Amino acid sequence: MGPLIPNGLIPEEWNSIVAILIGLAFGFILEASGFSSSRKLAGVFYGYDFVVLKVFFTAAVIAVIGILYLDYLGFIDFNKLYIHPTYIWGAIIGGVIMGIGFVAGGFCPGTSVCAAAIGKIDAMVYIVGILIGVFIFSELYTLFEPIYDGYFLGNLTLMDSLGVSPYWFVLVFTIIALVAFFVVDLIRKRVKKVFY
Amino acid sequence: MINRNLAKVLSFRYKIIAFVLVMLAAGLVLLPKYEKHEGISPEQLLSNAISPERYISTDELADKLINQDPSFLLIDVRDEESFKKYNLPYAINIPLEKLLDEESETFLNQDEYNIILYSNGNFYADQAWIICNRLDYKNHRVLKGGLNEWFTTIINPKKPIENMPKITFDLYSFRKAASMYFGVAYPEQVKPATDTKNKPIKKRVIVRKKKKMAAEGGC
Repeated sequence: MGPLIPNGLIPEEWNSIVAILIGLAFGFILEASGFSSSRKLAGVFYGYDFVVLKVFFTAAVIAVIGILYLDYLGFIDFNKLYIHPTYIWGAIIGGVIMGIGFVAGGFCPGTSVCAAAIGKIDAMVYIVGILIGVFIFSELYTLFEPIYDGYFLGNLTLMDSLGVSPYWFVLVFTIIALVAFFVVDLIRKRVKKVFY
Repeated sequence: MINRNLAKVLSFRYKIIAFVLVMLAAGLVLLPKYEKHEGISPEQLLSNAISPERYISTDELADKLINQDPSFLLIDVRDEESFKKYNLPYAINIPLEKLLDEESETFLNQDEYNIILYSNGNFYADQAWIICNRLDYKNHRVLKGGLNEWFTTIINPKKPIENMPKITFDLYSFRKAASMYFGVAYPEQVKPATDTKNKPIKKRVIVRKKKKMAAEGGC
């Protein structure tokens, strides 16, 4: 976990305990903000509830602004952060499958566990579906491997691949986010309300 | 009781938050930029510099050369003249003053090979090492003692005296064998039949011709 464990501020053994605590907090907040409801999650696709989009977009914007300020002030070295590697076709195909599952089931993997924890049967069925998917993937791994491991582009960020200054990028990104919030609010007002 | 003023302000709360967000992002753009420290940090450089890992001994290098280890590049940082006079087998010449040239960079800044820098002593190779490390080039090492050490250990190894430990003798026999590999002839090897008086049997150093390197290191 972060700089605390490698630097010996917290002993190594606490790693899993800290992870569990963070996980509990995450799950609690997810549930408290209504993310354990598949109707709320699916709402973003049908246009009656855009909370999912707003939450994730805001989180991304806040995080990137915060990181850039910390980097500017010298608390974080931006270049040393872990950047998830990009396997372009794996990401695209996986994203499509995940998206279909999201629309059809009304959960993403994290929220499905969260909803199962409060006793929703559809979420439990969804988890069984995930496990079946995992099983199929592992059984056919040799078939999928060229896509899974191929088309590697490196540890890219959007800023790197677009070749723009991160600061301008963040400003544009923030404005896009706010415009998106405004537009989805308009859409939400036009779509028939769904009560759940 | 409802605080009307507060309610009035709170009805604008999303607009206020959005405004703050844009201001924060714009602040990033407007902040005066300063030159960031490029390359690795001084602390990292120091810890690299005092690490004994950054040296390779002449014996290790000889072993690698004899076994034709393909995993390393030997780089000679002396000037071209000295390089032409004598160089280690398969070495590439990148004089110190050309270290930052673009064509040098293709050799120096890559991840596939271990790079071993050498000069006559440690000094110039160490300078090259420091610069390359500062630029965050990976896998650089310095031949400890440079060519001088190479001559005294590999080409012309000192014969141990009798009361020295066995390990010294083993090392000597390794070095002697290595020197033969690198072209040194010993008197006891030369057959007396071919021996002529006017031919002084000296330890000869055969300079191997530098092999042309195939395009390596991405050039």
